[in-house]
Amino acid sequence: MDIQLKRGLLDVCVLAAIEHSESYGYKIIKDMKPYIDLSESTLYTILKRLESASMLTVRTVEHQGRLRKYYRITTAGQQRIAEFKEEWKEILSIYQFVTKGGGNNDKA
Amino acid sequence: MTKHEFLAALHNKLSGLPENEIEERLTFYNEMIDDGMDEGLSEEEAVARIGVIEDTEIPDCKPEKAKQKLSPWAILLLVLCAPLWVSLLLTSISMVISLYASLWSVIISLWATEIALWGAALGGAVGGIALVCTGNTPAGVALMGAGFICAGLSLFLLYGCKAATKGTALLTKKIAQGIRKCFSKKEDA
Repeated sequence: MDIQLKRGLLDVCVLAAIEHSESYGYKIIKDMKPYIDLSESTLYTILKRLESASMLTVRTVEHQGRLRKYYRITTAGQQRIAEFKEEWKEILSIYQFVTKGGGNNDKA
Repeated sequence: MTKHEFLAALHNKLSGLPENEIEERLTFYNEMIDDGMDEGLSEEEAVARIGVIEDTEIPDCKPEKAKQKLSPWAILLLVLCAPLWVSLLLTSISMVISLYASLWSVIISLWATEIALWGAALGGAVGGIALVCTGNTPAGVALMGAGFICAGLSLFLLYGCKAATKGTALLTKKIAQGIRKCFSKKEDA
């Protein structure tokens, strides 16, 4: 898969994992596991990227005597998910055009 | 592999990165291992889940740049060409300063005119009243009229002054940002 496309998809996946409630790294990977295998290092990079883009905020919470970082989606993050849903309709129609044989349909 | 061994090995692998960056990554992996152990995994299993160190990517992060040392030839060239590049540098600096000075001198002169008009308005009003009181009514009324005209003009000019000051401040900020961008681009290259 194209790296840029994959990167964009993974960003949205992570945002979707924290869309309804804040979450932490381990749980994000666990929640995504049935759909996509995400390595810890990839998740770290995505979280940093999303934080830089102000699509999520981070807070550190004490948990069982140690610190754990929680990630919360921002309005910009929610907007990105909404944009993705819109973009995906377009991509889906392109996919359907490609899988149906593109312009060859007219000749048939 | 234990958590401690994993984090030590990871620290070695990330040695090219800034210290705060390394610390942040180690904290992240430490948390992931601890969370794995909280879920019932053994320490070794939690570490194994993350994978081998060699597979741990470090994307989007460039190692700290080693400080470039100038070669003796480059230093010699710099010294020999100093008359040329120093004069060019000074010319550029003086051009930027003169640009700033000319822009702000317009603003200063506008505000000076504004203040002068207010002064004239005040003077006209006071002088006019004084003349009327001393019996010279036509001259007093004329002076007060001139004062009112000055007051009107100064009110009109006030908006221009404010807009011009704002615009010039924005322009000088943009110029400064442009110059800074030029230098930062050269640093990145």
